[in-house]
Amino acid sequence: MNDPVNIGTLLSGTLSDTLTVSLPLFRPELTLSATIVLLLLCRMLPLLRLLDSALVALGGAAFALWYAWLDMQALPVFAEAASTAGGRTEIFSGLLVFDSFTAYLRCILAGFLVLYIVFTKVSGIPDREDGADFYSLVLGATLGMCLMASANHLLMVFMAVEMASVPSYALAGILKGRRAASEAAIKYAVYGAGAAGIMLYGISLLAGMLGTCHLPSMAVELGRFAQAGAPGGSVMVLCLGGLMLAVGLAFKLSAVPFHFWCPDVFEGAAAEVGAFLSVASKAAAVALLIRVAYGLGMPAGGAAAGELVADLAPVRHFAVAVIALMAAVTCTLGNLAAYGQTNMKRLLAYSTIAHAGYLMMGVAAAMALAGPKPAAAATAVGAVAFYLGTYVFMNLAAFAIVAFLRNRLRSEEIAAYAGLVRTSPGIVVATAVVLVSLIGLPPLAGFVAKFLVFSSLVQAISLGVDRQLMLLLLVVGGVNTVISLFYYLRVLKVMTFDPPPEDRVGEAFPLVSLSGAVVTALAVPVLVLGIFWSGLYAAAQLAGAFAS
Amino acid sequence: MQDISPATLLVLVPLLPLVGAIVTVAFGRLLGSRAHLPAVISIAAALGCAVVLLAGTARLVGDGHGGPARPVEMITTLWQWATVEGSQPFSIPVALRLDPLTATMLTIITSVGLLVAIYSIGYMHDDPGYPRFFALVATFVFSMAMLVAASNFLLVYVFWEAVGACSYLLIGFWFRKPEAAKAAKKAFLVNRVGDFGLAVATFLLWMTYGTLNFHDTLSADGVIMPGILGQTRLADAAGYVGGIVGTAICLLLLLAACGKSAQLPLHVWLPDAMEGPTPASSLIHAATMVTAGIYLIARSCPLFMACPDALTTVSIVGATTALVAGLIGTVQNDLKRVLAYSTISQLGYMFASLGTGTLLGFTAAIFHLLTHAFFKALLFMGAGSVMHSMGGVIDMRRFGGLRRVMPITAATFLVGGLALAGVAPFAGFFSKDEILASLHSRGWPDAHHEDHHAAAQKGYATHFHLAASSPENAAVQGENEPRPLSRIDSPATFRTLFWMSLFTAGLTAFYTFRAVFMTFTGPTRVPEEAGHHAHESPPVMTAPLIILAIASAVSGWLLFSTHALANFLAATPSFTAPAVVATAVKPAFHWDLALQGTLAAAIGIALAAYGHLGRRSDGPQMERFLGPLQTLFARKFFLDEIYTALVVRPLEAVAFIFALFDRRVIDGLVDLVAGIPFAVAAVVRQFQSGLLQRYALAGVVGVLAIVVALAWQLRG
Repeated sequence: MNDPVNIGTLLSGTLSDTLTVSLPLFRPELTLSATIVLLLLCRMLPLLRLLDSALVALGGAAFALWYAWLDMQALPVFAEAASTAGGRTEIFSGLLVFDSFTAYLRCILAGFLVLYIVFTKVSGIPDREDGADFYSLVLGATLGMCLMASANHLLMVFMAVEMASVPSYALAGILKGRRAASEAAIKYAVYGAGAAGIMLYGISLLAGMLGTCHLPSMAVELGRFAQAGAPGGSVMVLCLGGLMLAVGLAFKLSAVPFHFWCPDVFEGAAAEVGAFLSVASKAAAVALLIRVAYGLGMPAGGAAAGELVADLAPVRHFAVAVIALMAAVTCTLGNLAAYGQTNMKRLLAYSTIAHAGYLMMGVAAAMALAGPKPAAAATAVGAVAFYLGTYVFMNLAAFAIVAFLRNRLRSEEIAAYAGLVRTSPGIVVATAVVLVSLIGLPPLAGFVAKFLVFSSLVQAISLGVDRQLMLLLLVVGGVNTVISLFYYLRVLKVMTFDPPPEDRVGEAFPLVSLSGAVVTALAVPVLVLGIFWSGLYAAAQLAGAFAS
Repeated sequence: MQDISPATLLVLVPLLPLVGAIVTVAFGRLLGSRAHLPAVISIAAALGCAVVLLAGTARLVGDGHGGPARPVEMITTLWQWATVEGSQPFSIPVALRLDPLTATMLTIITSVGLLVAIYSIGYMHDDPGYPRFFALVATFVFSMAMLVAASNFLLVYVFWEAVGACSYLLIGFWFRKPEAAKAAKKAFLVNRVGDFGLAVATFLLWMTYGTLNFHDTLSADGVIMPGILGQTRLADAAGYVGGIVGTAICLLLLLAACGKSAQLPLHVWLPDAMEGPTPASSLIHAATMVTAGIYLIARSCPLFMACPDALTTVSIVGATTALVAGLIGTVQNDLKRVLAYSTISQLGYMFASLGTGTLLGFTAAIFHLLTHAFFKALLFMGAGSVMHSMGGVIDMRRFGGLRRVMPITAATFLVGGLALAGVAPFAGFFSKDEILASLHSRGWPDAHHEDHHAAAQKGYATHFHLAASSPENAAVQGENEPRPLSRIDSPATFRTLFWMSLFTAGLTAFYTFRAVFMTFTGPTRVPEEAGHHAHESPPVMTAPLIILAIASAVSGWLLFSTHALANFLAATPSFTAPAVVATAVKPAFHWDLALQGTLAAAIGIALAAYGHLGRRSDGPQMERFLGPLQTLFARKFFLDEIYTALVVRPLEAVAFIFALFDRRVIDGLVDLVAGIPFAVAAVVRQFQSGLLQRYALAGVVGVLAIVVALAWQLRG
């Protein structure tokens, strides 16, 4: 730092770095951005207005998926260049990071986007008029989520969260003129703004104490603090800052006690919006949680930086405690509150909350294992990544069924589904597959996902790291699985055993139809991934490799 | 067909019927009265594949003139079903095998399956469950083909259960009829006893041999891992354990076979199974599924050769069953039940033949299996044709003289009857003759002056050792100790079994022709259920009858005179075990045995003619002269009553207690536990008031709670 800084060299260095390293790794995001611009142009230019915005969005999403897939394929090259398993490469002067986890998450998000656009196109919300707005919001939020998955800097964390959240607020109110939707959107926005404010406060506290917002540098500073034996007051401030940061993340995760927005928003907004918030937003939030926890709790070089790993043990312990406690409470409360719900979307909202709990258990296990056994931690991250991969299909299928049934039955109440098996057996079978997978029973994908997460908890217990907490999580997870059985199966019971209401409107819902095909296309992978899961597992393990 | 590899064909044989079944299930309603098409077409295609495979295997085996047969087998491993690493690696490959035994079985299954499917087009034509029936038949053909093609005891077990499930579903096909539902349940439960045997036998096999594969496999590092019936182990003289463990395995396998093949004491389900549609009885409960037990024992014969006691038990069980079922069959008045007891009896013959432990005995059992499949399927379909025409009536006392009403059925039934009775030159004569010959050769070893029996004795001796003793000891034992005479596998035992079988041959002829005469001769009488249109069945039903009649007439002579089947089967790996090969004899026709057998059949037919030919079938019957014995036979030796008293009632008592406990104690606890989440949930839901301010407050309280919890957690 003693050399006089030459502005010109700095500029040209940054420029070449941006052009040669950063931008090529940013292709999926660039594609999404270009598609948003195109969608906005569609709205304005007369000739382009003839284009169906869903098709434009679908094309953009497909390209983004293609690029994300290419990046995933190219991972071994990066791994070699960076000489780490995850192929860690900082881009945009350290604001973002590209590694196996980024690549995997972008694949998941872009893949979800493709499925989601097809689903919304078939389900009819948004209509053609709103399409351009709707899809530019969805694409914009997804762009933010991609950034969440690759954030390497707390400012970027904040930016990404806001980029994902603000379009979501608008999406929640996309059904214009519906009171419930508007109310949900307002609540969501106010709650989100509050959470963002608290998170920003936390970030500024941390930045003030550590003098940087770059996560790896913060880890180094934290290590120095820990080694030097920081004065009590500063630890207090650091803890407070960390906790406030956690509040922001918990809001995105809909973790208890910041979950209150979730059922109201899901009930008020269209099922299509619920699907987006429940799947993509959740996946990105979990990814961000892993990013932040790992960024602060482990040195960037992974286990190789031996001394620093040991120094950061208190940070990790703090993170494990926060995440584990929240996970246990979130999971339990989500499942308990789902009891006695009469509205299917509300039930799925609580189910989403509960699943956030299971996912956080995996993150807690990964953080607990990160120090003593990095390879096992990587497996745990892989388990979470696998969970996210299956979750895309399970939950999207669940919301798709709700949306299509709403189109037929004009209702989202569980009671309205009574006796559906007599007229539409195919859809009931699909629902059964999806819900049983959400419970986590074999031979469906949800079982494998849950099994992997629980097995990483067992791994942590057997290694004796944070033993009590891990044991608590395992017990809570097991008990909750049993609890969840009841409310998921109740839906199936209503669908099969109860007599159909006499004033049923709407016709049968055969699987051989466009919407039936969408449901089938989403439900079949749930079954297939439950039996042949090695492919996704290998990809997910590769995603987790960054942690080893 | 040249372009398609045998492996593909082997996979296609089970796969095609499976596809047929799936198509029938998916589009059954759509196809309506054409719902038989997928099943018929797919089974026909499977038959084509099976025939090509049979011909290919026969070419590989050669004509059998080049000394003892060399084993012929081909294995196709589709995928690894389960793999567990560890000190004792465990893997279950989904492997299919092709060898003479499998090729023969596949041909029988698909050919009878095809004829039954065609016949059912007419028989089931206006049944509301038409598509369901064909889906089940196709599923059955798939499962049965997999059972005989599987090259692994676990897979055999899987499809053993699958054919059982198909059988259950077909017996209970008319599930609204209480007797049908009850019969299905009975078949299922009785079979469970046998299946339990197979399960435990599988465990023991795994513990003893460390594998469940039939065939040898190559491990990852190129070491040959001998399968249970693989050529490595077959060539090894001490490859199979005898003693307690070996005998236990064999007896458990026998128990399994007794369940599936309806042998004493597990035979009680088969007569009741006649509640199912007749074509299903014909296919499953006469021709194919019930022969699975024969197949299993024949396949695992090297295991049995190491345990002479178990082997003899097979014979004793078989001959006893043959006799008992034959006796019961003489007084039945339900045509299908006569045939059912006859099936049990004929299966008993096959067991008796297997138990001789000679190559002749094994091939004779399969030979009889083959001819029996044809003529018994024919007889059942004939009975079905009668039932179809008589408006569902099957009690022989209520009709008579039907040869004038349905001449084709009568003629083909007569051919089937002649074959079953063992009248030359029909099929049953030759196969039964071979069975009697195999029993005779064990009963009078000296009479068969070829030196084969000495070799057989030696073969036993080298294999007669306890599992615990070392091979050296065993060899010494075998040379020095003469086999004790008190053993059950003495010639005296087999002499008794031979006389029993010969007597049963007479019984068979008697009850068969009793049924023929009661049904088709005498004054023509038709029950009122038939209405005024008692008629011959449509061509779609009579054509299969004619084809099977031709097969029943000629297959025995064709296969016996050329020794084609025996030579062919001898190349089955299991039959090339040294102990089996040592018992090989030159094929011969035994005039003395043939005369005895024919004499027995003649007496039986003559008695039946004396009692029933040309008489009204509803008059007083000749059998009443048997007195109390008739009651004993008619009540099936009171076995059902004995089982009810000894097994069913005690179990019901125990079940009642458990049910009470379950309802009161366990359900109560479950209800209590289920109530807890509801109570908690009611509290939790209170927070979700919809007011943003409260949410914010809850958030703050929550954060404080976390801070407290954290402080407590991190206090150290």
